[in-house]
Amino acid sequence: MSRVAAVAVNTFRETIRDRVLAVILLFALAMIVASLWLASISLGQEGRMIKDFGLVAVSVFGLVVATFVAASLVRKEVDKRTVFVIFSKPVSRAEFIWGKFAGLAGTMFAVVAGMTVFLFLLAWNVAGGPSGSILVAGLLIYLQLLVVVAVTMFFSTFTSAILASVLGICVFVAGQLSHNVLSLTRLGHSGVTRAVSESVFYVIPNLSAVDVRASLAGEGAIRATSLAAWSVYLAAYAVVALIAASWIFRRKEF
Amino acid sequence: MGRLGRLGAVIAAVACVAVVVAYQATRPASAVSNPVVFIPSPAFYERLSPSTRLTVADVYWLYTIQYYGEHVDSDHRLDSLPAMIRLVTTLSPHFREAYFFGAFDMIDAGRPDIGYALLERGFKANPSDWRFPFYLGFFAYTFAPQADKDSVASQWYATAAKLPGAPQFVGRMAAELATNGNEQRKALELWTLVYVQGDKYSRQKAVAALDKLLPADKVAREKAVASLKDLVPPDLFDQFIADVFARYL
Repeated sequence: MSRVAAVAVNTFRETIRDRVLAVILLFALAMIVASLWLASISLGQEGRMIKDFGLVAVSVFGLVVATFVAASLVRKEVDKRTVFVIFSKPVSRAEFIWGKFAGLAGTMFAVVAGMTVFLFLLAWNVAGGPSGSILVAGLLIYLQLLVVVAVTMFFSTFTSAILASVLGICVFVAGQLSHNVLSLTRLGHSGVTRAVSESVFYVIPNLSAVDVRASLAGEGAIRATSLAAWSVYLAAYAVVALIAASWIFRRKEF
Repeated sequence: MGRLGRLGAVIAAVACVAVVVAYQATRPASAVSNPVVFIPSPAFYERLSPSTRLTVADVYWLYTIQYYGEHVDSDHRLDSLPAMIRLVTTLSPHFREAYFFGAFDMIDAGRPDIGYALLERGFKANPSDWRFPFYLGFFAYTFAPQADKDSVASQWYATAAKLPGAPQFVGRMAAELATNGNEQRKALELWTLVYVQGDKYSRQKAVAALDKLLPADKVAREKAVASLKDLVPPDLFDQFIADVFARYL
């Protein structure tokens, strides 16, 4: 456990110092501020627009950070051969993967929390009152991004960093549309097609099962039970992806 | 690079900047865009995840405002406005301001009937919001055929008055329109409800209206007031009797 923590702390330090991260974060904050302009042309819907487009910015920039950093995390160690130094110490390959994930999870928390709190304060200032749902939405975005980080790390164990990033983004997009696969499954008449699409439905992470953004605009309320169930599902999915990544990484020859 | 070379580079840079600025400066001023624009069917977006649907609705909301602002003061053509509002409200059915904005814009588009239908759809999706029947009453009164308008508007205002948050004047308007529409019984009931639910001012208006509507003959009036007994709470009934029979005291 302490070895995982050591890798995690190092990964956190390494990623949080990354200048690219700071640039992306600044750009995200600028985009959130830019939602003020959209709000100004929304004919009395300032609060709704800032919350909606602000959370879109948090989600999109969080995704950029998650995929690009996660994709290079393992590859960089392998390409620079620093992985040999690590494995010369009593650190297993699985511990390395889990430590990397934990470190990046910490960085992602700092990034998403920073953007969400900024948006929360901005929306408070504009709408004249605090909206706790923004913080809950930020937490849900963070959980979604953890799944993307785990899946991207899984891809990065056997493909290039660029391809892993692209695949990570594809999984995020597919995850937002996963319920469509289920609809197609129900429409299908062929048994084979149905079996394939049903399998795809289970393989793709369901990232759209719960959404606070819709409830922010008064489009239905979210039940705490469905929120809890979905959080457990996302955590389980990330664990499965990391176990698969560890398994592949263990068999990898450098 | 020599001095001549540097000078050449500066001249080339200045010339390029001049070309860029000149090109942009000679662009024609933005013309009014086509009033008929492609708006996808809501079904196209309905299968997206809820958060995506909401963001699409918000993007089209901003687009709708720009479209309305651009055309309402120029060519007065708002051909695509109904489709835009339908898209926004289908993707975000509880976006109440979109219904109101769309309904009143349909007046500018010369199609208050679409505005009325839109408000009816909005009321179905948001049945607890008194503003929908209130605006439906306004549309009915303003645009319905002369023969029906008082009674239809009165019906909508009476519906609005029963919903939480409705101001006192809505009930008074319902009663007033029922009176104008010569719906004697309905007017009596609505004014009685205004008396029961209203503030001091509403009560004064209700007493004045009831005094005009109720028969002048005392016996006939007693009979008419007795038929309203169920609408008045027992603790208020004595006061109600005293007010509507004040002229005989």
